[in-house]
Amino acid sequence: MREYIVEVVIESKPYAKDPEGVTIMRDLMHKTGYDRVNSVRTGKFLRIKVSAENGEEAKNYVIKMINDLRIYNPVAHTYSIVLKESTG
Amino acid sequence: MTFINGVKVNLTEEEVEKAKALLGREPNQVEAGMIDVMWSEHCSYKSSKPFLRQLPKEGPRVIVGPGMDAGVVDINDGDVVVFKVETHNHPSAIEPYNGAATGIGGIVRDILCMGARPIALFNNLRFGELRSNHSKWLFEYVVKGISDYGNCIGVPTVGGDVEFDDSYENNCLVNVGCIGLAKREDIVLSVARNIGDILILMGGSTGRDGIHGVTFASRVLTEASEADRPAVQIGDPFTKKLIIEATLEAVKTGYVTGLKDLGGGGLTCAASEMSGAGGTGVEINLDNVILREENMIPYEIMLSESQERMLFVVKPEGVSEITRIFDKYELSYSVIGRVDGSKMVNVYKNGRLVAQVPSRMLSDPPVLNRPVKRPSYIDQLAAVTPPPMPLNLAEVVYKLVGSPNLASKAWVYRQYDHEVGDRTIIKPGQADAAVLRVLGENKAIAAKSDATPSHSYLDPYNGGAGALAESCRNVAVTGAEPLAWVDCLSFGNPENPEVLWSFNETIKGLTDYALKLKIPCIGGNVSFYNEDQVSARVVKPCPVVLTVGLIEDLSYITTMSFKKPGERILMVGLTHREMGGSEYYTFYHNIQGGRAPVVNLDLEAATLKTVLKAVRTGKISAAHDCFRGGIAVSLIEMGMENNLSATVNLNGVGDPDLRFDELLFSESHSRYILTTGEEYLTDVIEIFDENNIPVKEIGVVTDKGRFEFEYKNRRVSCSTRRLRKLYYETIPRYMGVNKWMK
Amino acid sequence: MKIAIIQFPGSNCEYDALHVLRNVLKQDAHLIWHKEFKSDDFDAVILPGGFSYGDHLRAGVIAAYSPAMRYVREMAAEGKPVLGICNGFQILIESKLLDGALLQNNCLTFVCRWVNLRVETSRTPFTRFIKKSSILRIPIAHKEGRYVNTRRRIKELYDNDQIVFKYVNENGVETDDSNPNGSMDNIAGICNLEGNVVGLMPHPERASEAILSPYKTEHGRLIFESLIKYFNGGR
Repeated sequence: MREYIVEVVIESKPYAKDPEGVTIMRDLMHKTGYDRVNSVRTGKFLRIKVSAENGEEAKNYVIKMINDLRIYNPVAHTYSIVLKESTG
Repeated sequence: MTFINGVKVNLTEEEVEKAKALLGREPNQVEAGMIDVMWSEHCSYKSSKPFLRQLPKEGPRVIVGPGMDAGVVDINDGDVVVFKVETHNHPSAIEPYNGAATGIGGIVRDILCMGARPIALFNNLRFGELRSNHSKWLFEYVVKGISDYGNCIGVPTVGGDVEFDDSYENNCLVNVGCIGLAKREDIVLSVARNIGDILILMGGSTGRDGIHGVTFASRVLTEASEADRPAVQIGDPFTKKLIIEATLEAVKTGYVTGLKDLGGGGLTCAASEMSGAGGTGVEINLDNVILREENMIPYEIMLSESQERMLFVVKPEGVSEITRIFDKYELSYSVIGRVDGSKMVNVYKNGRLVAQVPSRMLSDPPVLNRPVKRPSYIDQLAAVTPPPMPLNLAEVVYKLVGSPNLASKAWVYRQYDHEVGDRTIIKPGQADAAVLRVLGENKAIAAKSDATPSHSYLDPYNGGAGALAESCRNVAVTGAEPLAWVDCLSFGNPENPEVLWSFNETIKGLTDYALKLKIPCIGGNVSFYNEDQVSARVVKPCPVVLTVGLIEDLSYITTMSFKKPGERILMVGLTHREMGGSEYYTFYHNIQGGRAPVVNLDLEAATLKTVLKAVRTGKISAAHDCFRGGIAVSLIEMGMENNLSATVNLNGVGDPDLRFDELLFSESHSRYILTTGEEYLTDVIEIFDENNIPVKEIGVVTDKGRFEFEYKNRRVSCSTRRLRKLYYETIPRYMGVNKWMK
Repeated sequence: MKIAIIQFPGSNCEYDALHVLRNVLKQDAHLIWHKEFKSDDFDAVILPGGFSYGDHLRAGVIAAYSPAMRYVREMAAEGKPVLGICNGFQILIESKLLDGALLQNNCLTFVCRWVNLRVETSRTPFTRFIKKSSILRIPIAHKEGRYVNTRRRIKELYDNDQIVFKYVNENGVETDDSNPNGSMDNIAGICNLEGNVVGLMPHPERASEAILSPYKTEHGRLIFESLIKYFNGGR
């Protein structure tokens, strides 16, 4: 087994409001002159190290886990996953 | 499944025909959506209205009764209190964090749109058993949602209750209440009275969230798939805080003639109810509504339930002043129309009239007279055989004190800011009700919201009367005279005659005790369809009652904790064999059945008045409603905070043939436990004797570290240290907290 | 003495601070909207508690960029007293007027309860008239209040007498059990090198009247009274 890094980004669904993202853009970035920012969406980021036979297995393991443990709520959130090989 | 003009509507064939007849033509698609949402159970109360008419709504202090977003009562000196309870059950069941948060958002808007500053929040939560991971998840995130939202908007969450029962496993209940404070002259109603007044929509932008009849909407939407849409709203407490401040500042100008928040039914509901109540009409131009998404069609804009929006009706000369305030808080707003004399909701888009429906047709939909039927299970449950008395009653006491329903809820209320506002005199855990002062005056209000579904399940009439009785008792023990109440009733499917029978019995119980105590109902909320689609399991009926009382002198405010050893303990009221729905039967014996406690209306009211009189003498050092968990648990609760104990003899405080377990754990109504100094003992007893209220000195407060109960020459003795551990650590332990600070 | 209480969007304890200063202590205190604040008009400034900008991104970070903070910085530099309570403390930290970081409580939840604070120094205007080692009963109510800094900087805070309040038990002893949020060294409040800028997580404005205290104490009031005496020439 090898160690893989699976990075999970959890965000609100694309058409949901993101009050935090809007506040950061409007009240921090735009007000300090960074007015070329057009959108900010916030979310949660999890970097998970997992042992697996191969990358596909590592990814599926994490997908099963985040569903089982309600690490995201499919009613409100979407997730995306990036697989990396662990260097350390 | 029924359709109007190709739009799927959640109405019966008769309702569709009625709508066509009232309109005099086939509604177009926009109108169909507007009628559908306004005639829904949620907006129309069509199943419950015939029953709710029984409730007494009038009293000398009532300024605004049921029918507006919240009720208003007078508390002297030109001050008024505004309050209301609502559910957010369905959204919380699928996304507990945002569901609960937006529940708080909604109830706060209801108070705010009356022109009052929200000053206190309440929550009454029901989940499945804490052993279930699903229930734990719901519990944790509902509390977090309330905490994050309520704390952020600066409104203290000061009271409520939490119970766990298997019937809520798939249908949790999230009842949220709010109290507001205002000067009488600042109260604004949700009415559009003056032709020519301007409509300003302020706050959040309008998106496609929460649109009723998603089936239709999704057919029209091209760029967004159903999977991309959240089924619940996202809370935005930061914007809400700005809306609160801006709204209160706007109301102070005197230019706001009507105000309503946008909740269920969105713009359709706000526009039709305000013009319906004012006998006017409105003209709305959808081109001016600020949208969050592109290509929204009139159907969507009229039905959107996007959060954090308020509809202001403003005198034309006041528009610039009002919008200057909105600009200060950087809130978005737009003038979307005006009040006219048409008695219609007229909706325009691109200069074209896209909907025209009589306001009152939307705001006063036809009610239904659904049948009721007494369920057969009621008699079966009542006839349950009593279990044998356990040998070791001390172990029963430990078990009950460590039951999630009776254990301390500090894990919950420590997560709520219960002090912001500098008003909270009595904080959660200190007494049966929260007490909030009116700044700058020698007066305060006490408030508590309660429900006992396990009693209601067995006997909905006494469950209803009991919820009101309990809530009034809790308010009275602090020294407050109960003034008025609101309810929030969660039941199953009203199309089931047995569910509706329970509903009607509940209302009858509430009505009878309210009439007896002469305390009006000034508002309410009904939530039906709380049942599992898969297993068809119905929740235990949950009538929540929030009562507000007035304390006219801060000096006699009383808490529930024992203050010092040597104080005498008085038992007020008598205990009967009323074990049904008790925590002892449900949790210890796992029995769903038996006879639930009966509210003796005359005795209940007379006892309350006498206790209040006693507390107001200032001679009572601690006062506590004796109810859930019976005498044993109620006494123990009084000792927890200050680590004190009690030695009591319980002969003569109940029916003579009671067993020891029944006497300790029965949840009979009309009972209180008081403490007083030895020097006041005869004075206090005399107050009860004069009023023919049963009272008995049962023992003394000690620092011996043991709770000792004696009855018919038997003794039960429990270690206070072990009780405190169970009381404070049970919920944190379930929630995975190892180290717990009280 | 003219005291400003700055209102940021999302502040929510400003009325409480105003009530205590104006009605309880009869001081000339004013609520000032953050965009309208000018330092010249005031002798002291309070940054109140709450959730400025919804605590989005990090508590206090967005408010730290408000134009009001430029004037607060001016006042700090002039040696005028500056007090940050709870969110105000977080704003002072994010503005770099005070050193360190305030992270999420180690219990991961919001915590509202009364704590015991030990006064560590009498050299600030807000503690000048409270005896060192006094124990004050004051409530906390926050989610991001765990004070963190490098060991080296903490040592400097000690060396420079910049630690103002610590969480202790009823007997005045720093223990793990009396630390409600996991702050390093039980730190509840600190000041700048000069001592005129003070930030603390607990809410003295909620503990300034006996009727609001479960212990019938008025310990929060001592902090404001200290400021008043300091101003009335008791420096």
